[in-house]
Amino acid sequence: MSTTSPGAREHDLNAGPLEERGIIAFRHVDLVYKDQAALKDVSFTVANGEFLCLTGPSGAGKSSVLRLIAMDAFPTRGQVIVRGMLATKMSRRRIPRLRREIGFVFQDFRLLEDRNVYENVAFAQLVVGVPSHQIVRNVMRVLTNVGLWDKRHRLPRQLSGGEQQRVAIARAMVNSPKILLADEPTGNLDPVTAQEIIDLLFRINDAGTCVVFSTHDHGIVKTFGQRVIVVQGGRIASDVKRRVPVDRNASLADRMYRPGETATREPVHA
Amino acid sequence: MLRNAQAAYLVRESFAGFRRRKLTTGVTILIMGSALLVLAVLTLVTLNLGGMLEQARVGIDMRVFLAEGLPDDRVAALQPQLVVIPGVAQVTYISPETALHEFRASLGDDAELLELLDQNPLPPSYHLTLRPEARNLDAVQAVAREVGVWPEVEEIVFHQEWIDALETWTFRFQMASLLVGLVVFVAAVFVISNTVKLTMAASARVIQIQKLVGATNAFIRTPYLCEGMIQGLLAGALAMGVLLVAGRLLDGQLGGIVFFTPAQVGGFVVFCMLLGLVGSWAAMRKYLTLRSEI
Ligand SMILES: Nc1ncnc2c1ncn2[C@@H]1O[C@H](COP(=O)(O)OP(=O)(O)OP(=O)(O)O)[C@@H](O)[C@H]1O
Ligand SMILES: [Mg+2]
Repeated sequence: MSTTSPGAREHDLNAGPLEERGIIAFRHVDLVYKDQAALKDVSFTVANGEFLCLTGPSGAGKSSVLRLIAMDAFPTRGQVIVRGMLATKMSRRRIPRLRREIGFVFQDFRLLEDRNVYENVAFAQLVVGVPSHQIVRNVMRVLTNVGLWDKRHRLPRQLSGGEQQRVAIARAMVNSPKILLADEPTGNLDPVTAQEIIDLLFRINDAGTCVVFSTHDHGIVKTFGQRVIVVQGGRIASDVKRRVPVDRNASLADRMYRPGETATREPVHA
Repeated sequence: MLRNAQAAYLVRESFAGFRRRKLTTGVTILIMGSALLVLAVLTLVTLNLGGMLEQARVGIDMRVFLAEGLPDDRVAALQPQLVVIPGVAQVTYISPETALHEFRASLGDDAELLELLDQNPLPPSYHLTLRPEARNLDAVQAVAREVGVWPEVEEIVFHQEWIDALETWTFRFQMASLLVGLVVFVAAVFVISNTVKLTMAASARVIQIQKLVGATNAFIRTPYLCEGMIQGLLAGALAMGVLLVAGRLLDGQLGGIVFFTPAQVGGFVVFCMLLGLVGSWAAMRKYLTLRSEI
């Protein structure tokens, strides 16, 4: 139990009916891959519309937390509840429905290399059966939002890393998910581009989508972490919510190069 | 419910393997077509041999010899009793005179020997033909048991060894066909399954993203199932095509063989499609989980 963390006390997980426990709730979750224990007794709750940052050393279990939320992994013990759906009681048929309410973004973008920007985004709508005329409208909306409508005919390899990540975010957002999960979305990007991506995540969060992202980057954590959960060795080491809202217009680069902090930072380039 | 865009996507993806891996797909169809050709030829031989064996079974009959010196009315009274025995089709009376006549004819040049006899030594008898369902050893023995206890009956003759041999060979042939058919079946499924696996491996990223954005398993599977089915269809059509052409060319030499009816040709091709379906299903087993391995 993460009894030491203030966040865990703030959201008493054992009280209240399902819907009051937030959009995502972990209760004493253990996760064991075949023989490798990845998470131990993890408990936290994410409120609707929250902007949550997961951080911690490599192998700590950040990706595992995100995987559990997307129901791509299931808890070995304990409960994961996402939008009122209990992972352990989830029927296979309902998983696709849940995934349509969750957007997922990765460090390595995972675009389809032989399809252009437009097709990559439209693909997410096509395969879930959105009618053609709505596909055009939605793709246009999200690509305009990420500033890439003009480059819609380009192939992924004809884009910069930041642009590719924005395409990936557009794809994650095109089905209008309630939750956006981003696993080290800035891991492959330079600080300026990383800043753009974080800005984009903020805008998405402002529009009402709950954002959960993981990062190694102390700069990002310090500058923008509204609520920060530190994962260490598969446990929650701390869960801290800032009282004063972070300045979303702050510049990551300013902080990056402020003397005295560079020593504690991990390199931005992974 | 499929939307137009979705349906168009499925159709396009079903042919993706054909477009992207022409050689592999071509070789698959060729190999599977050859295997299916073997299956078709085997089926054809089974059909024809089965017909011949059935024909041979018409020869399964019985002869019921009566005791000598029976009065004519008692002999005549047996006819209606024999006709009603289950499995008996036809009952023909053979008088001692007819029997002698037949015997003489069968002796040919040696027939003179019969002149030494001062009286006809042959008993009267009935010749029984059997219904198709009774042309087997069990039924024949049942009839023999029933008739054998009648006081008028002296002896019952049927060709037990011949019936035995016929049954043994029919059984052996059916088993051999089944075995070869099974091997061919497994080989065909294996070949198709391998090709579909290649297609799926090549689309691993696409499948991963489909799962991630919430496509259903049914949707993800469909193009691969279709690919297998189309390959099965083409292989089956190829096998039938070769068989038809070969049948034409050999028509003169192989007079009187039974060929597939158009309905059977259609059925065979549909069967091949199902084979393709099974093959691609087998290929996808590991992809059927909803895990996207993110
Ligand atoms: N599929 C898997 N099978 C077995 N073990 C796994 C698997 N995925 C992760 N693990 C293990 O689980 C632990 C947590 O992994 P996870 O990927 O969640 O860490 P992480 O915090 O995301 O690390 P990183 O910052 O390097 O991405 C690690 O020890 C890892 O080796
Ligand atoms: Mg990770």
